[in-house]
Amino acid sequence: MSIESILVIGGGLAGFTVAQNLRARGYAGALSIIDPAGIPYDRPPLSKAYLLGQKDTAGIALAPAEWYAEHRVELIRGTVRKLDTEYLGVELADGRRVHADRLVLATGGSPRPLPIPGGDLETVLALRNKEDADVLREKTTPGMRLVIVGAGLIGAEVASSARTLGAEVTLIDPVDPPLVPAVGQALARRLHAMHLDAGITLVHGTPVDISKTTHGHSLILDDGRSIDCDEVLVGIGIVPNTALAQAAGLETENGMLVDENQRTSNPLIYAVGDMARTRNPDGSLERRGEHWEYAMNTGATAAAAILEQELPVHGASWFWSDRHGTHVEGVGDMNGVGATVLRLAGEDPIAAFHLAEDGRMLGAASIDGGLTIRAARRIIDRGIIVPPESLADPGIALKKLAR
Amino acid sequence: MREGTGLPAVDLGTTEMLEPGTALLIPTETSGYQEDIGLFRAETGSYYALDDECPHEVASLSEGWIEGEEIECPLHSSRFCLPDGRVLCLPAVRDARTHRIEVREDRVLLYPGTAATRT
Ligand SMILES: Cc1cc2nc3c(=O)[nH]c(=O)nc-3n(C[C@H](O)[C@H](O)[C@H](O)COP(=O)(O)OP(=O)(O)OC[C@H]3O[C@@H](n4cnc5c(N)ncnc54)[C@H](O)[C@@H]3O)c2cc1C
Ligand code: FES
Repeated sequence: MSIESILVIGGGLAGFTVAQNLRARGYAGALSIIDPAGIPYDRPPLSKAYLLGQKDTAGIALAPAEWYAEHRVELIRGTVRKLDTEYLGVELADGRRVHADRLVLATGGSPRPLPIPGGDLETVLALRNKEDADVLREKTTPGMRLVIVGAGLIGAEVASSARTLGAEVTLIDPVDPPLVPAVGQALARRLHAMHLDAGITLVHGTPVDISKTTHGHSLILDDGRSIDCDEVLVGIGIVPNTALAQAAGLETENGMLVDENQRTSNPLIYAVGDMARTRNPDGSLERRGEHWEYAMNTGATAAAAILEQELPVHGASWFWSDRHGTHVEGVGDMNGVGATVLRLAGEDPIAAFHLAEDGRMLGAASIDGGLTIRAARRIIDRGIIVPPESLADPGIALKKLAR
Repeated sequence: MREGTGLPAVDLGTTEMLEPGTALLIPTETSGYQEDIGLFRAETGSYYALDDECPHEVASLSEGWIEGEEIECPLHSSRFCLPDGRVLCLPAVRDARTHRIEVREDRVLLYPGTAATRT
């Protein structure tokens, strides 16, 4: 049976990519994206250029408004409240119903709430959407005191941007240094120290209570310390938005379970991006990929799979982060069994390579590494064996080793 | 299409000036153009020129990764088609501006401000 209509639920990067790839691959049927936000936009700038006021709404759009008309992609503004798996389609919060031959779930994630008293206060901030960024921007005035709970990627980036905007920033994390799983110990330590250089107060601890005060908020840490501030932002990760799928009886497990085609337990329904989680043929589960490129890759795969075309091949997973004027990148896995080789510039670690026992590269991370990670991606994807001495030698461009 | 905005040709050097798969920044002092220009030698051996600054954020495309006839931005990996500047993938959404290159005998000539024409 030919497919005449496809409905994408969620217009973030993953949902947008599905639509874009469907058209690029020649799909000519009806195609709609449902999202409360209207025109799809990119999220990475929300903690960086958009928060700093260097990019506006048009500057973060994933495609100009005309693109949707030109490519006959209908944008339906609304929130889905129910999936209909029998007569395939959705019901929107305003009662409208939309049906299609295939559904793609691309609902992303929601900020994980801090599971402590006061963690659910309405005034506690988080950052996921443009509206969140607008609120944060408005409150981040020179001299205001911002406490950020969680020094992961988003926490660190907001700390940097808020500092640039003149805020007094305190960054709290129970782990010191944070980000070791993403970039390894040495780079994590250097990155964390950059916060201090930028005038950010680092607190090693775990909040156990947040309360409102007359002027702002007060946090209590597990060791009894208390911290007063104007605003609190929590950035401790996301929970995948799988409620719709769960209510419809689709299989989920800390993510919407999908196969290598991004297909869910219902063969007419696909899932992509931050909310999806791959189940391998042997039943084992991958970790959810919560990065930008993963959202794009899974969207591209779903589009190919829906049209029963050959699936695109993706390399090792990749992410970046921009903060304090530096550019951080990581590729592959920094945590498997193996050894880490560091590349230093003077005393500072600028790149870390994680090698398996047989010498294959498993992962790499760098700070302002130029093409280092691009080259490492190729080394990993092609299984090129590079001598550890060459990896450690800052005089050898990694690009040379990857060719 | 831009017309009549081009500057006189600048002789950049011989066709051996760059290895295939490498690039060079042509500063405004050399080109007379208001922006830095990136000169790229594709892996195919052909020369191309684009505005050096990535249309996405602040990055120098001449520091990027050349693969075939494409340039990948060193910062967030948007790829651009060297012959026509077309953006091939996110996060950039705008095309890169091209400048015409002409190879005459063994010289590489840059026409700053004149768009490349696909041949
Ligand atoms: C502030 C910030 C900075 C980031 N920076 C980086 C970075 O520097 N590098 C990097 O690699 N990654 C970064 N990321 C991660 C990256 O942006 C995400 O991995 C990516 O956005 C995931 O795309 P997605 O489409 O799966 O989800 P989302 O982008 O979250 O999109 C999901 C969409 O679904 C919609 N939706 C949800 N429920 C419903 C419903 N019931 N009905 C209709 N629509 C619904 C939402 O409104 C949303 O628009 C960042 C993320 C954030 C939030
Ligand atoms: S600056 Fe080039 S892709 Fe972002």
